[in-house]
Amino acid sequence: MEKGIKISNLDPATLKTNGALAGALKKFDRFYIGAEFCENLLPRPEDLRRTAAFFLEKDRKVCVLTPPISERGVCNLKSAFRLLARLGPSALELTINDFGTLELARECGLPAKISAGRLLCGNVFLARKRTFQLINSQALRFFTAQGIDRFELSASGELPRTNFSCARSLGFAPGDLNLTLYYPYLNLTTTRTCLLGVPDIPPDESVTGIHCRRECEIASFDVKHPLVREPLLVHGNTVFMRFPRKFYSSENNLEAMRVNRLVYCPFP
Amino acid sequence: MKIVSCFSRLSEIAPLASAGADELYCAAADIPSYGHGALRGNLRSAAKAAHALNLKLSLAVNSMLLTYSKREMTDFAGRLTRAADDGADSFIVASPSVFTLLKELKNPPSVPIHLSSTQPCFNSRAARYFIRLGVSRLILPSQVSALEAGAILRECRAAGVETEIFDYRFFGCVYVNGRCNLHDPIFHTFTRGKEGAELCRCGGGAAGTLRVKAERVSPGRAAGAPALARRIYARMSCGGPPRIMNAASFHDFFSMGTGYLKYGTRRDPSEVKIGKVKELRAMLDLAEDQAKKLPPKAARAAFINRMTGWRGGGF
Repeated sequence: MEKGIKISNLDPATLKTNGALAGALKKFDRFYIGAEFCENLLPRPEDLRRTAAFFLEKDRKVCVLTPPISERGVCNLKSAFRLLARLGPSALELTINDFGTLELARECGLPAKISAGRLLCGNVFLARKRTFQLINSQALRFFTAQGIDRFELSASGELPRTNFSCARSLGFAPGDLNLTLYYPYLNLTTTRTCLLGVPDIPPDESVTGIHCRRECEIASFDVKHPLVREPLLVHGNTVFMRFPRKFYSSENNLEAMRVNRLVYCPFP
Repeated sequence: MKIVSCFSRLSEIAPLASAGADELYCAAADIPSYGHGALRGNLRSAAKAAHALNLKLSLAVNSMLLTYSKREMTDFAGRLTRAADDGADSFIVASPSVFTLLKELKNPPSVPIHLSSTQPCFNSRAARYFIRLGVSRLILPSQVSALEAGAILRECRAAGVETEIFDYRFFGCVYVNGRCNLHDPIFHTFTRGKEGAELCRCGGGAAGTLRVKAERVSPGRAAGAPALARRIYARMSCGGPPRIMNAASFHDFFSMGTGYLKYGTRRDPSEVKIGKVKELRAMLDLAEDQAKKLPPKAARAAFINRMTGWRGGGF
């Protein structure tokens, strides 16, 4: 079981200042950098390259997370991919949450293995609290035909049942796919206009983009909604649920459902 | 710009055409689609009625939840072929599996594919990606503004691909369509029987008991947390996050040559559907009229001014 940690846009210097760098390097094989849900949180291209290079030099693997992107994100990622491409082939993985990013990675010749992120998971799987099912083999082939065989999902607090034992009738082999499980936060929904930032938009204003003052860096917020039993957690443009309790007895349970990578998220 | 309207009963077709619809779309009971409100009646009769009025008819095939075995997928392909034979002029598709299925079929139904907004396209590269997969129309999600969509529209225009937006007044979940798990109790549970839309539209009385508490406050930034908590309180109890689509954004899409304007709440009662299509027609007539009479900047300002006075069913 490979172990990763999502540090998002934190750089090694900040981790060191927080006293977390040495422990993270010791405990984790792979570092997830970048931004998963919001393009405004993407590090600057040079910062992204520098952070990736730092961990690669420490013999750790790196996965660059990318969010859904507008045209502004296309420009930012294009610069980032050109810089990252210089780090060499197979040094990096890329997680996409927007098909435009896949197109852009090809366009930039980024030699990275690509995974389908948590926001694309629903294209291939039916994810529920207690079940996690491949919807059909055509969905899987859509991705594998493009070299994508790793899919990312969130922990839902229970070990879900899969339909992988019916692989033959579904028309695939379980070995065709790999899963990465993020814990302990499950992303419930995402908006482009942030719950924390973005002033209300008057009727005479046609917005040119989501202008962000990074309010989400101030805090996350626990929300107890009168219509929902479980506590919600709002961080920036995404609403999460949190499942801190370990829900599997051994890693073999996870490997049986093709989860061969765990990613710890210290924050949502 | 032309108007595309949903319908769910055969009896709605003629009145929707009279109200101003230029095209129609529906969902069929035996073909999974996103949302509620499948056609009551058969598709062949609906297509015949629409075609008699010179209206094209699209079929929503935009569910992501096509949980099918190999055999069930073959059946599904058969139903798509029958839908095309029944007269569907295009399919509205979201799931990548449908693209693969149509590619793998020896004799796929030869109908154009419209990319559903539930497979959201936020940038020109995503547009390019789906254009290469063969889409003939791209339905933009409500979470992208006109001024952000310029490159998408150019990409589509260059490829001869049509573009479509939703009317900002009658549609527009503030969360990313097709990727939202808030509406349905999939991972969470509701405290009482309710519609999930309450969570992302108006809170329906939620305010007052909503509790918001800051956690993981960044050192030295605690002073900013209460204002953000108040903002979350307001947004999660009534109205949700800000909406990008508004009168200005519609006018910009209109001026930039977007081809189609959609109204798509299939489960609205017939009289509501007809009323809303009339509202779409009135708005479009207004934009067209002012574009003819006034210079572009003045036309935009006059349009926004007029639409700002619109109050759900009149000015």
